[in-house]
Parts: sequence; structure tokens; C-alpha cells
Amino acid sequence: MKLGFLVDLSRCIGCMACAVACKAENDVPLHSWRLRVKYIDQGEFPDVKRHFVPLRCNHCENAPCERICPVSALHYLPNGIVNVDHERCIGCASCMMACPYNAIYLDPITNSADKCTFCAHRIEVGMMPACVVACPTHANIFGDLDDPESEISKYLKNHKDVMVRKPELNTKPKHFYVRGSTVALDPLASERPEGFTLFTEVKYLEHIGGH
Amino acid sequence: MIGAEVTFDVPIPKVIWGWLVSTNMWAKSIATGSFLLGLYFIKRYPQQDNFFRKWLPILGLIFIGITLLVTVLDLHHMFRFWKIFLHPHFTSAVTLGAWVVSGFVIVLLIAFWSWATGKKQLFDRIMIPGFVLAFFSTIYTAGIMGEATAREVWVFPAEMVSMLLSALIAGSSAYLLLDAIYNNVLQEQVRRELGYILFGSSGLMAAMFIGELMFAKMHSEFSHEVIKVLAFGEVAPFFWLGMLFTFIVPMVLVGIANEYRNYRYAWIASLSALIGLWLIKHAWLIAPQSLPLS
Repeated sequence: MKLGFLVDLSRCIGCMACAVACKAENDVPLHSWRLRVKYIDQGEFPDVKRHFVPLRCNHCENAPCERICPVSALHYLPNGIVNVDHERCIGCASCMMACPYNAIYLDPITNSADKCTFCAHRIEVGMMPACVVACPTHANIFGDLDDPESEISKYLKNHKDVMVRKPELNTKPKHFYVRGSTVALDPLASERPEGFTLFTEVKYLEHIGGH
Repeated sequence: MIGAEVTFDVPIPKVIWGWLVSTNMWAKSIATGSFLLGLYFIKRYPQQDNFFRKWLPILGLIFIGITLLVTVLDLHHMFRFWKIFLHPHFTSAVTLGAWVVSGFVIVLLIAFWSWATGKKQLFDRIMIPGFVLAFFSTIYTAGIMGEATAREVWVFPAEMVSMLLSALIAGSSAYLLLDAIYNNVLQEQVRRELGYILFGSSGLMAAMFIGELMFAKMHSEFSHEVIKVLAFGEVAPFFWLGMLFTFIVPMVLVGIANEYRNYRYAWIASLSALIGLWLIKHAWLIAPQSLPLS
């Protein structure tokens, strides 16, 4: 079994239900996110388009975070999930330096690295990840990539516009996007001005941790 | 349609490794550089070996101590540091580094004991393993940077050469400073050779940085952005002052010192190189962290 995730960006309406469900399910602290939805506006009025991009851990088959972790706090589960052992983590932040998708954060309460685990605790008892359940448009498609009859396998087979983020890094992500675009998936394809925007401030956090 | 702008997102982290990591790399350069050069001078100038047999372990222990201190302080779970030894993950350059540096510390302790008790043979017996451990202690950070897939311009072979040159700059500068502090205890030939090492390693490292400025930006859009941050962005003052203090000032002053046999310039060059080395390492550490990854 090799679990994977796919987001059909044409179905995403940017409602953040997935992000909220993730926060609630995993008790993610303030100023930390396992899953976030970025809005990108493209063009000039009246020729304007808004992209919604859910971003989470890509559970790479060749995960840089797993490789660099000095104590195997980040490790693979047999189903392909890159999991985190909070008790093992020494808080060196190497994984954050290695992850090209900015998917790992240091939990300010536990001081350990944390990230999306595809809700491994739910999968273990046969449930879907919280974000999949919460999505009102079924934009999140989750399942076994090794099973040709799974919805995700069929989706991948039937769509020619499957994309992953930063394929050139050879991390072999298991998180796919269909009906995406460079603007949606390449962080340098859009400006990221700091300051007040739609609902909140888009900014960088200051140096993390207590140092 | 033209242009695209992020109009909603959450705040995301920017600088993850800060000045403690810069200090780690800087202090480690002094510790390993003084060890590697100390070995060379003990072998090449046995008549002057007392100076190097004394200062090699002292400099090594002080600066590897600083390296270890800032490393542990930078951990968000500093009291779990021992897990690197009980649950090692050997694909990680962090783990390899921790083990290699631990071995290097043992070598330094033996070197210190050898000097303190006057038993030169003790240190002579561990020179080869000491060389190997010092070498790998110098370059393991390059391995960490190479494994940091998310960060542009940190490329393993280039970082390894850069770390070795940093060690040579730092080691030669440290010995030249000590020589000045102790009123020129070294023979002129040794002092000149230290000057040449500082001059040569500064020149080579300057060439590497200039090469990065000129060519790294051609590799990818991400590299281009990092070079922009480095040269014109928020870390530009660190970078350009680092270039001035680590390369230009030492090369000019050591050149004058050796050419005119006026060695008072050499210690100013050394001090400048040590200050500049921290600045340029800090700029090099921070710049790739300034880019949005997602």
C-alpha cells in the first residue's frame, strides 16, 4: 500500500474547511499550520483569476526531511506516510531546512517538529483524513496509489495535467495536483508582498524558536 | 492576464537557522583549521613544534567548545542531544558530524594531555586519525548544507572546498594573531608561510564567492533570487563587509607584510579575516532562507 493525495484545483473554492478541520483534528497551535490554503490573484481587472492552493506535506518517496533527520524522528510508515515521532525529535530544525515545500513547523508547545501525517491516526482505524472529510466539493482525493481501482489511481490515470511541486528536486512527491498551473504551484511565479491583504496579514514569521 | 500576487496566506517562517549556526561554522573553522595547520607546522618545522603543540589543543578545545555550545543551544530540545548517539540516523550529515566531532574532541584532549605532560609521542601516535577527524569535522557542515534540499546555492562539493578554505583562513589567522600577541615568537619563515596560507586561501575563497555571484544566478530562478538577496538584499551589508574583511584587507595587508617584511600588518590582516569570516558565513547562511518555498 502506498498512500497518496490529489487535489483537483478546479474544484477548490478556498473555503478553508480543510485547514480548519486539520487544525481541530490535530490540535495544531496558533501560528502553526499543517495545511494551509493560499490565494493567488492573477491578472488585472477585468481579466482576473483567483487561484486557491491547498499546501501540505507531500509525503515524498525520496523525502529530504527523513534523510537529514539525525535521530529518525521523521520516518516512513509501511504505507508510505512520512510520520513524526515528537518524543524522538531534538528540535534541530534540519528537516525545516531540507523540506522544499515549507511543510514542517516547530510546534511552539512541544518544541518538536511537526507536519501533516495524512491523519495517520485516523487511517489506522479506517477513517479518511480530516481534510478529505471536511471538503465540501471533494477537491481532496485520497487513497492507495498501488490499487488501480482506487479513486486516486483512476483520477491520475484519466487526467493528463497532473502536476507536483518542484519535480526537479527528485523528491518524488506523493501529493498531486490536477488542473493546476505554474502560478499556483511555483512560489516565485507570484509576488508575495508583506502587509494587509484580503482578510489578514501575509508576512514572514520572525526567527523561530527562542534564540 | 499579467502578474500574480499572493492575496491571502498565513505567516510562514523565514529564518530558521540564525546567528548561532553562523557562529558554529565560524568557531569550527578556527578549531579545525588550527589543528590541520598545526599538524603541518609540527611536521615541517620540528624545531618550532613547542608553539604548535601548545596552541593546537588549546585553540582546538576552546573553539570546538564554542561550536558544541552553540550547537546545543540552537536545539529546541537541547536536553535530548544524547539521542544522536543512542538513536543515530546515519544518512544524516548532522549525525555523522556529531560522531566525528566527538572523536575530534577526544583527539584534542589527548593532544592537550600530551602537551601538558610533555609526552610528545602520545600526540604523534594519533596525528593521522586526528587529521582524518579534523578534516571531516571541517566538511560535515557542507554535507548538512548539501542535504538541505530546500536551500539554493548550498551545493555539496563547492561548500566542502569553501569549508576547507575557511579552516585555512581561520587557522592561519589564529596563529598569526597568537604570534603577534606573544611578540613574534615564531621564526620568520613560519610567519611568512602562515601569511602565504592566509593570502592563498583568501584569494581562492574570494574567487569562489565571486564565481557564485557571477554564475550561480544562471542555474535557476531560485538561485538568481538568492544571489539578489546576497548582493542587494537584507544580508548585503554582511556579505560585502565579509568580502572586504575576509578577502581584500587580509590579502593586501599580508601581501605588504610578507613583501616588506613588516609583520605588524599581518595581525591586522588576521583580525580582519576572522571578523570577516563570521560576516560572510552569516550572509551565506541567511540568504537562501529568504526565499518563499511554498
